[in-house]
Amino acid sequence: MNNFLKNIIIGLFSVRSNLTRVILTASGLTIGIFTVSLVSAAVSSIDKEFAKSMDYYGNDKVYVGTWPWSFDFDWWKYRNRPKIEESSLEYISQYSEYITDVSIKKNTWTKATYGNKASWVQLNGVYPSYQDMLSGTKIENGRFFSQNEWDLQRRVIIVGGTVRDGFFQGKNPIGKKIRLNNVTFEIIGELKKQGIGMVPGGTLDNLVIMPSTTFERILTRWGFDELVLQTNPEDIPLAKEEVGMIMRVARKIPPGDDDNFAVNSADAYMEQFNTMKNAIAGMGFLVTGISLVVSAIGIMNVMFVSVRERTREIGLRKAMGATNFNILTQFLSEAVAIAIIGGTVGIALIRLTVFGLSSFPIPNFNGSTLPISFDLVLVFYTFSICVVIGILAGMIPARTAANLNPIDALRDE
Amino acid sequence: MAKSKKEIISIKSVSKIYNLGETVVKALDNVSLSIYDNDYISIMGPSGSGKSTLMNIIGCLDVPTKGKYKFKNELISEMDDNQLANIRNEKIGFVFQTFNLLPKLNAMQNVEVPLIYSSLGRKDRKERAEEALHIVGLQDRMTHKPNELSGGQRQRVAIARALVNKPSIILADEPTGNLDSKSGNEILKFFTKLHKDGNTIIMVTHEESVAKLSKRRIDIFDGKIARDE
Repeated sequence: MNNFLKNIIIGLFSVRSNLTRVILTASGLTIGIFTVSLVSAAVSSIDKEFAKSMDYYGNDKVYVGTWPWSFDFDWWKYRNRPKIEESSLEYISQYSEYITDVSIKKNTWTKATYGNKASWVQLNGVYPSYQDMLSGTKIENGRFFSQNEWDLQRRVIIVGGTVRDGFFQGKNPIGKKIRLNNVTFEIIGELKKQGIGMVPGGTLDNLVIMPSTTFERILTRWGFDELVLQTNPEDIPLAKEEVGMIMRVARKIPPGDDDNFAVNSADAYMEQFNTMKNAIAGMGFLVTGISLVVSAIGIMNVMFVSVRERTREIGLRKAMGATNFNILTQFLSEAVAIAIIGGTVGIALIRLTVFGLSSFPIPNFNGSTLPISFDLVLVFYTFSICVVIGILAGMIPARTAANLNPIDALRDE
Repeated sequence: MAKSKKEIISIKSVSKIYNLGETVVKALDNVSLSIYDNDYISIMGPSGSGKSTLMNIIGCLDVPTKGKYKFKNELISEMDDNQLANIRNEKIGFVFQTFNLLPKLNAMQNVEVPLIYSSLGRKDRKERAEEALHIVGLQDRMTHKPNELSGGQRQRVAIARALVNKPSIILADEPTGNLDSKSGNEILKFFTKLHKDGNTIIMVTHEESVAKLSKRRIDIFDGKIARDE
């Protein structure tokens, strides 16, 4: 073992004496590691952000809409389905065993204005019960609307986290009045700020919630309705099945006919997402994998040069009693050292990049930054990759060196 | 040779045959030889006579095609690469015509090279290397790199390197070949001193004047020992 370390030190020593060459060779791997890390950082960030977005839908909710939550839209099939009727909620409340609470969720987008400022917001019209069904966020400031306000179709709204920054320069928005679709609304509550989501509509930050009665009266423009149904996370599959049956009965769909509605939940979305994520990761790793192979070839080339240059040294060391394994270790550690140098610079670069990306706000996102993160697991993997690449790239040259005949090697000019 | 001396090397009917495609070269042809403790031998012969091959076999850098080679009763002719490396490390000190110092290491580090492949710790290595450099009179040049030393000094570093493992034999291949006559003589005097101190020295040379200094002379011709006296 002691001997093993000594040979590693000899290898490192020779790295130091050929620093320029080593740095140039290692830069290939730096680029490879940089891109690989960027891909994995991106994928893991997407993952985290997606999980966050999924919180918005909640793992304890079933949604009924016209469209299934899927990335492979069959537009023609779904566009002619009947709209979701609010009346179906009564059937579900009455007959379902698994659903504990229900709300309509009317969706649309509109322009919000305050003074001379304007911004597009997502609008939800819901029941008062939706207060307890909010997931992924909570009322941070102010309050939700009351049953009374719902009954009276009051123009009161709860706003997402970016409204404060966008319209009020970070000042308390409660009690302020903004205009939605040219109608004045009073802000009574504020949601906790979430950051950018990965799912369309999957952020609560530019969300405006109001009583569904008010929504209906004032915002009769394009949009769609969904049913939001509360259940327990473990009951999701059964609840979905049951809700599907109730919906069929409510809509009088004859046996054998296809559903003309979709029962959705976050886990189904998650599955779809994972497929997409794996495709992105697969492509990314394929491309960066090629750059790693190229850099490994670069290291191998330099190691062959190193062996060639130092043939006499190898002969001498062998004459002095170095075993084949000693020489192998020496050259392998040289290759691994080059790889690790390349990897370390790559990690430093990725660290800088992540720092850079996450400190500058993205335009038009109200101060949010790109959701990208850097974790230590990545560093560990990178080093492992470097060691493996170093060993793979160094193995053939190192074996060549180790198997040199000392007599021929000593005679080398 | 006095028979009372301890035999270190015993070579019996050793042949070395190189197959160079269609031609077969008999570099050594049925050579037998004994080398005793504290011998001072010069091996002479024209180029192509097989003296280098004999040196390589004695130095355990090569194994014979036929015959038996025993080093202190260990059968070298049947050892594998690792065992040979160990023997070279522990029992043999090499001195080369071209010094073969590693240019990026200083004198001290160069002398330490054989010790790296032994089991000695760092502190012992330093001590032994210092001691060896002391013997060759280069104690004040320990941190000099080879290019900061004269030819004679370089060869003395190489000799210190050969001595550092306290080997059973010192093998010198034309040790004065790359030196001017003054430095060459210095080195030869040094070999004489080493011999007096009890070392066993085997030297390959083609200079009569160098061979005369040794106590035993072996002439090789056409792969055979032509003279041994």
